[in-house]
Amino acid sequence: MGILIDRNSKIVIQGITGREASMVTKHMLKYGTPVIAGVTPGKKGEEVHGVPVYDTLRQVCSEHEINTAIIYVPPAFVLDAVLETLDNNIKLMVVITENIPQHDVMKLLLEADNAGARVIGPNTVGAINPKERVRLGAIGGDNVERCFVPGCVGVISRSGGMTSETSYMVKRAGLGVSTAIGIGGDSLIGSPPKGLLALFEKDPDTQAVVSFSEPGTSFEEDVAQFVAEGGFTKPLVTYVAGRFTESMPEGTIFGHAGAIIEGGKGKPSTKIKMLRDAGVHVVDRYDDIITVLQSLNLEGVRAHAATSER
Amino acid sequence: MGRLLENHSKQLLAEHQIPVPRFFVAGNEAEAIEKAEALGCEVVLKALVPVGKRGKAGAIKFATDAKSSGEAARQLFGTVVRHYPVKQILVEEKLAIDQELYVSITLDKPARKIAILASSAGGIDVEEISAKYPDRMKILRVDPFRGLADFQAKQLWAELGLGGAVLRQATDVLIKLYKVFVKFDCTILEINPLVITKNAKVVVAASLMAVDDCAMYRHPELAAYVQLGSDRAWRPMTALEKQVVQVNEDDPYRGTARYTEMDGGDIGFMCGGGGGSLMMFDALLSYGCKPANYTEFGGNPPERKVFGLVKGILSKAGVKGLILSANISNNTQVDVVARGVVGALKDKAIDPRKFPVLVRFAGVNDTAAREIFKEAGVEYYGEEISMSMAAKKMMEKMKQTYPGSQESQAASGA
Repeated sequence: MGILIDRNSKIVIQGITGREASMVTKHMLKYGTPVIAGVTPGKKGEEVHGVPVYDTLRQVCSEHEINTAIIYVPPAFVLDAVLETLDNNIKLMVVITENIPQHDVMKLLLEADNAGARVIGPNTVGAINPKERVRLGAIGGDNVERCFVPGCVGVISRSGGMTSETSYMVKRAGLGVSTAIGIGGDSLIGSPPKGLLALFEKDPDTQAVVSFSEPGTSFEEDVAQFVAEGGFTKPLVTYVAGRFTESMPEGTIFGHAGAIIEGGKGKPSTKIKMLRDAGVHVVDRYDDIITVLQSLNLEGVRAHAATSER
Repeated sequence: MGRLLENHSKQLLAEHQIPVPRFFVAGNEAEAIEKAEALGCEVVLKALVPVGKRGKAGAIKFATDAKSSGEAARQLFGTVVRHYPVKQILVEEKLAIDQELYVSITLDKPARKIAILASSAGGIDVEEISAKYPDRMKILRVDPFRGLADFQAKQLWAELGLGGAVLRQATDVLIKLYKVFVKFDCTILEINPLVITKNAKVVVAASLMAVDDCAMYRHPELAAYVQLGSDRAWRPMTALEKQVVQVNEDDPYRGTARYTEMDGGDIGFMCGGGGGSLMMFDALLSYGCKPANYTEFGGNPPERKVFGLVKGILSKAGVKGLILSANISNNTQVDVVARGVVGALKDKAIDPRKFPVLVRFAGVNDTAAREIFKEAGVEYYGEEISMSMAAKKMMEKMKQTYPGSQESQAASGA
């Protein structure tokens, strides 16, 4: 189990012949991920680490069953790639590309919503399910086990890098990850934390969730409300980064494009208060994630994690 | 998000047949008088700075003649408006106002639509309008694929009480504003106020426009109006900041390097990743350290980008130490980063055995990276310590090297 991705994922990579995409394809295959095909216009017949390349997604879908797309094309071509994905009735896509024009992102998310499809990203490191050995994107790099071992903790992070670091904290707590998802560092994204928590709530393999939060957006406020309303009942541990941004002039970006306080909205202090009021474990220091996770008494599952590791 | 100065946004609006007042730009008091004389009417003088709410900041003045224009200009040129010193002012024809309206166009991100907010009460902050006159405010969310239809714009203004020739003009203006918003990939286009003049003309009295940095590749015509990277500073960008933007742009498709100078500070701060940098900065402050800058890099940058970035960090006056801390990397090659860092230290003739340098960076190729740092005499850690621990160790290192220093001290030691 886990959420969104598993052994049934049948994956196509759009823009597979690019430098980063090609390296990531190699890493994904090495991990055991079912990468079925790739698309790069004009390169039909080529192979990338044994994965066949096609000119169009339609060609891929006429020969293979595909249910998941990873989009690695340059910013100017992402909107079109997403429309092509939707047109081929693929309902899950991970948009890795950073710095896509906002108007394009708005359009692609609207079209995905209208088609009932889910977008992870843009500007994401991807997602991973260690038990099923499926990873989408660069997540885990060339040494997946360093940070990601199977277990009962879901991870949601607005930062790609901190998806791995947070999963490493989970490992140091003696636990492992059910599914870890980098949701992307922008304010305009397809899968904010609230919706993912709803999926983790229903996942029997997930006993608790750790999230990495940042200033800007109303994602954490939405989570607080969702938890308060009883939408997510498992333990939720979060760290809110960027408290210093509140003492800086408003409207300045620090770190991610989404990390911006505007019109008094998006302040870490507000998020922390709302989350705490809703019963979420908000840690003051990032390293405290370890001790809080250990205090949650996820005993039965820790044994499970240990078994899976062997 | 790059904000345009008002003269630039008004020029763009005028080029798209949207009525704006006659205006000039003045660089000093004498020019302001000259331009006011050329306009030959009552004038408005506005500080040309890329910030909103200028009225409240005292950055807008009115003058009845050329002489009083000089006086108003003199007052404006001496000021700093929300961290921006006033170097130029807009000298503009004062409109004879019958009614003030408000309209803004933005991206409604959760709704995935373009939001048009309009009000029959303009000339005051939008927050004030919504608090005082909620019934005089309407919001319209537009499907970006379908665009804004004439009837929608007309309906919006009609519901706000407009009629007759004014309704037709306001509709026409809104349709054109929407087109500008879409054409230039704006993140905001705010007209406050949109004026109905005494002779029943609808004119844009004040405009605030920002465009998406990420879309600049398709708007080369805006390059002169938008300072790339300016959304990461709250004041005019410094020479070093512009230098690092250039370093980044020299390799536009490989990795990112972003650099913001903080006031004061003595520790060069270099962090991998947007989230990690937010966390590390908090951690350093919590241990009483004073970072001199805010630097974030990632996406597997080439060595020369890292080299240029570190040189920038070390070039700021008052920097007496360097911390490089990053999350366990997914794709950034740590050895490549190591070569860039060590190269920059050598270039600046810095001996890391005397000048505190601390690195915590595990990930791709970190065995090789450890060797490179070790050989250069840099204190290096991989995942054996956490990022927070690295912050604490840096504080201790600074204290040992500079006992009794005024800057980074274990103020809280929490």
